Amino acid sequence: MLTLRWIGNTTVPVEAECITADRLADLPVADIERLAVQHGNRQEPMAEFFHVSGDGADGRIRLEGSMSRVKWVGAGMSGGEISVDGEIGTHLGSEMAGGRITVTGNAGDWVGAEMRGGLIQVHGNAGHQVGAAYRGSRRGMRGGTILIHGSAGNEIGSTMRRGLIAIGAAAGDFAGVSMIAGSVFLFGSPGIRVGAGMKRGTIAVLDAGSGAGPINLLPTFQFECEYRPTFMQLFLRYLRGLEFPVDETILEGKYTRYCGDQVALGKGEILIWQPS
Amino acid sequence: MSRLRVTLRLNVSQSTIDACCSGRHNPGRMEINGVEIEDTFAEAFPMVAARAIITAETSRWVEIAAREVTGYATSVIACDAEAGIERLLSPADTPDGRPGASVLFFGFGREKLEKAVANRIGQCVMTCATTACYNGLPGTEKTIKVGGSLRFFGDGFQTSKMLEERVQGSGFRVQAKEASGQQSAIRKQQSAILRRRFWRVPVMDGEFLCEDLFGTVKGVAGGNFLILADSLAAALQAAEQAVEAIGKNCRDVILPFPGGVVRSGSKVGSKYKKLRASTNDAYCPTVRGITRSSLPGGVNAVYEIVIDGLSAAAVVEATRVGVRAACVSGVRRISAGNYGGNLGPHHFQLHEVLAC
Repeated sequence: MLTLRWIGNTTVPVEAECITADRLADLPVADIERLAVQHGNRQEPMAEFFHVSGDGADGRIRLEGSMSRVKWVGAGMSGGEISVDGEIGTHLGSEMAGGRITVTGNAGDWVGAEMRGGLIQVHGNAGHQVGAAYRGSRRGMRGGTILIHGSAGNEIGSTMRRGLIAIGAAAGDFAGVSMIAGSVFLFGSPGIRVGAGMKRGTIAVLDAGSGAGPINLLPTFQFECEYRPTFMQLFLRYLRGLEFPVDETILEGKYTRYCGDQVALGKGEILIWQPS
Repeated sequence: MSRLRVTLRLNVSQSTIDACCSGRHNPGRMEINGVEIEDTFAEAFPMVAARAIITAETSRWVEIAAREVTGYATSVIACDAEAGIERLLSPADTPDGRPGASVLFFGFGREKLEKAVANRIGQCVMTCATTACYNGLPGTEKTIKVGGSLRFFGDGFQTSKMLEERVQGSGFRVQAKEASGQQSAIRKQQSAILRRRFWRVPVMDGEFLCEDLFGTVKGVAGGNFLILADSLAAALQAAEQAVEAIGKNCRDVILPFPGGVVRSGSKVGSKYKKLRASTNDAYCPTVRGITRSSLPGGVNAVYEIVIDGLSAAAVVEATRVGVRAACVSGVRRISAGNYGGNLGPHHFQLHEVLAC
């Protein structure tokens, strides 16, 4: 395993797109230390900010420290594992195609933006635009799984096309906005305008204990039925298999199904969990 | 055409037999609980196999669906596939946490199997209350389309969901090659991701969930043994015990015939040209006097246990378990059906199978 320990002392963002398991696997420590990272408007060697040790031949990287200013870690990664012991900045796993990223602390905005495959698991909170499309882009997340154990900000899964996003605590406004397809599971209370403009896909609100009360759906969503969709049982067990906490009571519950958004294609669904 | 019988040399050491079987042995002769094990072999054939996991709200509806989907699937002589219930599954063992059943299908060729499985699941599982159906062999190289065909029943209202499963580790592979006189490592990513698509077809009690693709493997069909007993009651009891023992102890196999037992064993061909198979007269006690019978004196009833498995090892294990359970009072001999070794590549020598 290759270990990168944060030794930087800067408030200026550090853009470290080069930190991916597959890119660093071939390189000796000396070469990794010489890799260029963007620090503000200058390029600096990696050694300015990280103490590098170990060997990444097994495809595993460990980052240590509070790196809330370090951006683009794991961007475009196609395989291997990155574990972050601490906080991490924006654009974590952006456009990632495979592999696994685990963060013990919080992550910034744009976690897994336009991601294509793999798994990102953040044990703390995440910022805005988890799995979203970049501004001007036609599609957001296109595959893979993003699990945020804590809360997340606005526009979760914006324009996502495929994949699964699960948020363990409160979610911001416009969750699943303009979704094309895919699944967004919200285990805490959501903000306003859930699923606005969604064409297809699933937004499941599984708020079993926040006490936030019933959510206000947009009037362009239409009630359909109460039932227990089998695929939810499948997906909830899949999340459990990834060590994402899913309460036993949620497995037992049923769902109220609304379809929408009627201002768009209207083939999306919002499933609101309720105890059986 | 009578079934050909051949005499084969026993090539299992006597000490092995003594260690594994109760009863006495002469060279070339084996007995279990006083029942003679004929020195012959079962001849089996490669077939393409698939496994479906069927779940439902209650075990009652699981059993109904599993029985329906495996109906009229005893032999490819006249059925589109051979099928049977491998075992019932507890909620903890199914993908959606509901009661379930594992069902195996066997067919000659992937295309025929695909058609048979899609038809059967479409007509017998999708129509059955509360059910869902999953691929029971994920990660195989070859697949057949099932949910991907049945989805059209949704008439445009069907939707799909996809899950990504990590198959092994981080999917990291390391290769070494010589470059410029020094060994350098080239690491290449393997996706190691299994993408499983599930179709949600709207039906009147909610949704029918069916996996898009089902994995297939090269299985083995037609493993068998014959129970020759002095009475119908003894033969039936032995056959039932064999079926029960295989069901309890063996995985990856089915017994596709009714109750796992065959009364109408067949031989290849017939005096009637249009028939591919006809009654195995050599084992029919009622025509013993007018045909070339294979029945020893005192035998008045014969049952056959036919075994289809996902592998030859699974068929061997089921044969071993089944034969041992069938060696009870009233059974005179255990034999096996073959075609002289000319048709099927798998030859399961009874003595070898039972020696370990």
